[in-house]
Amino acid sequence: MVKGPVTGPAVNPDAAHAFATRSQAIAPSASPGKGNGYLRTGGLLSSTGQPLPAQKIMPIGVAMQSQPLLAPNMQTGAAPGAMPVMGTMAPVSNPRQVDPFGLPVVSPRTDIWSQAWPDTAQAGGYSSPASVSGYVPPGYRPPPGLQKPAGNANKRKKRRVPIWARVILVFVLIILLIGGAGAYYYETNFAAPVANITGQVVPRMKGDVNPNQNSTSGSGDILSGGRINILLLGSDTDQKFNGDFLAQTDIVVTIDPQTKYVGMLSIPRDTWLNAADGYGMMKLDQAYGRGGVGLSRATIYQDFGIPINYYGWVGLDGFIKVVNTVNGVDIDAFHPITDDNYPDDRPGSKNQYAYMRLYIAPGPQHMNGDTALEYVRSRHADLVGDFGRSQRQQQLLSALKLKLNNPSIVSELPQLANDLNGYVKTDMQLTDVFKLMNFARTINQSQIKQVVLDGQYSHTVGGYPTAYGPQDIVVLNCAAVIPVIAQMFGLGDQARCDTGISSTGKPTSTAVATVTTPSTAVSPALAGPVSSDSVWQVAQQMTEVSGLSYSDGSSSLMGMRSLLDLLCMTVFESPVGMQA
Amino acid sequence: MKNHVSFRVAFLLVLVAFAVQGCLGIGGSSNQGNFKSENTGNGQKIGVNQTTQAVFKGKIYFTQGRNLLVLDGSRNVKQLTHGEDVRDPAVSPDGKWVAFDVRYGDYANLVYMSVNGGPQHVVISGNGHYWTNSGGFPQDDFYWFGQPAWSDNSHLAFLSDFQKNFDWAQLGGDFASAPFVDMQIFSISISHTNLTGAEGKADSQIVAYADYGDGGDRDPMYRPGHPSEIIYTHYTYDKTGTNQVIQLYLEDANAIAQHPNMYSPGVEGSGLDPAVALTPPNVECIEPAFSPNGNWIAYIRRNPSTNSMGLYVMPVPSGDLTSNPNSPTTQKAALASYPRSSLIMQGQFIGQPVWSPDGKQIAFLSYNNNEFDIWLANVSLNPKTNQYAMQGSPIQLTQGGVDADSRPFWTP
Repeated sequence: MVKGPVTGPAVNPDAAHAFATRSQAIAPSASPGKGNGYLRTGGLLSSTGQPLPAQKIMPIGVAMQSQPLLAPNMQTGAAPGAMPVMGTMAPVSNPRQVDPFGLPVVSPRTDIWSQAWPDTAQAGGYSSPASVSGYVPPGYRPPPGLQKPAGNANKRKKRRVPIWARVILVFVLIILLIGGAGAYYYETNFAAPVANITGQVVPRMKGDVNPNQNSTSGSGDILSGGRINILLLGSDTDQKFNGDFLAQTDIVVTIDPQTKYVGMLSIPRDTWLNAADGYGMMKLDQAYGRGGVGLSRATIYQDFGIPINYYGWVGLDGFIKVVNTVNGVDIDAFHPITDDNYPDDRPGSKNQYAYMRLYIAPGPQHMNGDTALEYVRSRHADLVGDFGRSQRQQQLLSALKLKLNNPSIVSELPQLANDLNGYVKTDMQLTDVFKLMNFARTINQSQIKQVVLDGQYSHTVGGYPTAYGPQDIVVLNCAAVIPVIAQMFGLGDQARCDTGISSTGKPTSTAVATVTTPSTAVSPALAGPVSSDSVWQVAQQMTEVSGLSYSDGSSSLMGMRSLLDLLCMTVFESPVGMQA
Repeated sequence: MKNHVSFRVAFLLVLVAFAVQGCLGIGGSSNQGNFKSENTGNGQKIGVNQTTQAVFKGKIYFTQGRNLLVLDGSRNVKQLTHGEDVRDPAVSPDGKWVAFDVRYGDYANLVYMSVNGGPQHVVISGNGHYWTNSGGFPQDDFYWFGQPAWSDNSHLAFLSDFQKNFDWAQLGGDFASAPFVDMQIFSISISHTNLTGAEGKADSQIVAYADYGDGGDRDPMYRPGHPSEIIYTHYTYDKTGTNQVIQLYLEDANAIAQHPNMYSPGVEGSGLDPAVALTPPNVECIEPAFSPNGNWIAYIRRNPSTNSMGLYVMPVPSGDLTSNPNSPTTQKAALASYPRSSLIMQGQFIGQPVWSPDGKQIAFLSYNNNEFDIWLANVSLNPKTNQYAMQGSPIQLTQGGVDADSRPFWTP
């Protein structure tokens, strides 16, 4: 496009381009051209203004380093016969920049090389980026002060950073860039949600012991100490962590890292018992509603003697969101699912105690989050009871796993983190959850002791008079419950069943038949914004989790997988959930 | 130079405009390869294969995103319902009406309307309410309806839990401890409309009972040329109560009505059975579909060993199978054709086969690229082997996903 007094022998642009990519290219390019055409192309001149022989101006090694490029003016044919323009991208990228005479203007350069005009012969060869950058006016000589003294080239060569050092430098820079990008990715997408999920400590209520205070491990490894009891609470929907809502699911998981024993005790939500801290008689799910995690935890300890090390709270909507984020799951339903007594605890439900009806067709189908939740939670759709339910849960987890193992899930990880944010809370750290779930996964599920305190251990009393009016309640048969608790939690004589009501439905002496004013036992810290410190701690944990996942060959999905395990275990009320 | 730059900018703008149009789905239809795509609402699209390989005759009714759509032989799509939860369309033999069920939370309505759309006629509404059940779970008189099938132009067979509140406690065991919510097959005349659940229950005739506890019956379809015979999938457990048994059954649709005291719902193997099994108990066979001449059955078989499903075609066993279904001779004869089943094709998830009116194609749903779509298989009967086989490869007819739990219907 540059127009000027350029003449010269015709050069095949392709050939010129080929030459321009290697040092020998200077030979044809230095062949006699005419006038400015030669100069414009970045060819070199002697001190007298005559073109220098090729062998003097471009030793092979130097030319190779300069990585010459062909300017577009050769390709456009605007300068037929001119030698290939060799230089950096600057003039190439702006070919329309011309001086009043129609000649290209050289971009200002700030480095010494662009200002100096070395005697190429003395310098041992061509090396000036200025000359390769583009146009040099005819007869131009650099100011005397900028001329390089003879022998500088050798010095310069000696000072040049060795190739190996450059490689290392580039490698380090790449690592730093990747690390920086990763840290930025962590912080922007995961740190805040995970900080809002983990480490959510809830103050202990009066009379509730903190078994973690007696921990002797001191190593910070949750698996290096003794038995751990975790209270899992499942609420019907999101944002119900702040109390005043029910906990549909109340499970205590016990893990003994030394003996590799895992047990799971499900306590019916309608269990009528004596809530701790003088709250009086109520259903277990109401204990969560009235006093949050703190009251649920203290009540479990007070009435059953089970010390709770940690808790995990899950909003069932989180499961729906996770399934929807992976665009649903595809499942061959084994048989028609019919259930007229599925708990109507969906978002927007007018009555949390109400029921809804299910009819899920059999056969292959796509399930969104709502249907998937119904499919795994329905308790009345199988003649074989919980066995059939477990099969459905395993089926769904397999489908979910397929989605989570798809490489495309990486792009959905931030959304998964957001799905869990507000729907999962625990006072454990991310690394603790990760280690616990990884540990639990190594346990054969058939060896996991699972007890539901229904039927064999309890009975329903309809229309029982309560402070809230007549209610259907579950009364535990404590004579049957105590041995189970003693064995499962290794409590021996410390196992209790002081629910405040006898198996015949009559209050016992320990019962407090009053209902106190509701309070909120939620830590103020939970309501506050996520601090930068906690975000940084989370980033450290996620790095550790990623490292651990690499070391054990698992795919942690930035730690999201262990949180999903926690979510599924609570939603399913089954150890099956640990297989996500 | 300026003109050249402007041209390039304009060209880029045009490209950007096309890209934005594509991303936002602006415009009624678009082409993606061989598929012409139509917006069907709720952010969904249905693509239809326009190649000559995907030619078919007649119309296929199906649902996508719970909307009822019809695809004609020219491969044009028409949406017949909007914003309802519609499932299982079935066109009357005279081609005037399309029946389907509409789900509403706790219940469904059984409805029909013109095959061209328009106002819906509610045959029965399943709406009801819960009431307290002292000492047990609440009870209700909501009802489900599903999978309507026309016996003639004025009668429909359909699934329902109509008898869940019937006092089956006399049967003992499970019936005494929980409601009988498993779906059974009933039939009703469409001469009356806007029936309540109670009215519909009174007007309906029981066609096939369910066994307790595994969800009941599915996929009813009358046999062409034999209007008294009906086929369906029967879900139950074996006598131990621990293993599922899923079989195809053939039955005289009037057997229970004609012998009111002979049959009752129950558990596997208990009492007399008005139906006879066409497939063995150790293989899970579902979703039968009669060929237009009523002599062949396409069905889906689960293959647990390969974790796959197969589309099979078998002949309808010869002889009278419905008059004396409890005879060992009849039961043996009913299973005689199963070994002659021929595999048409298999895959991870395959379902809902339906024959073309001319019997030369079978449409089915297959799972590919994370979605269920309608595929076509050209089939022909080999006179030497007397078995059906697929000609060529299956052809994907739709793209964008359809509702896999909703039975399509193919009409002339």
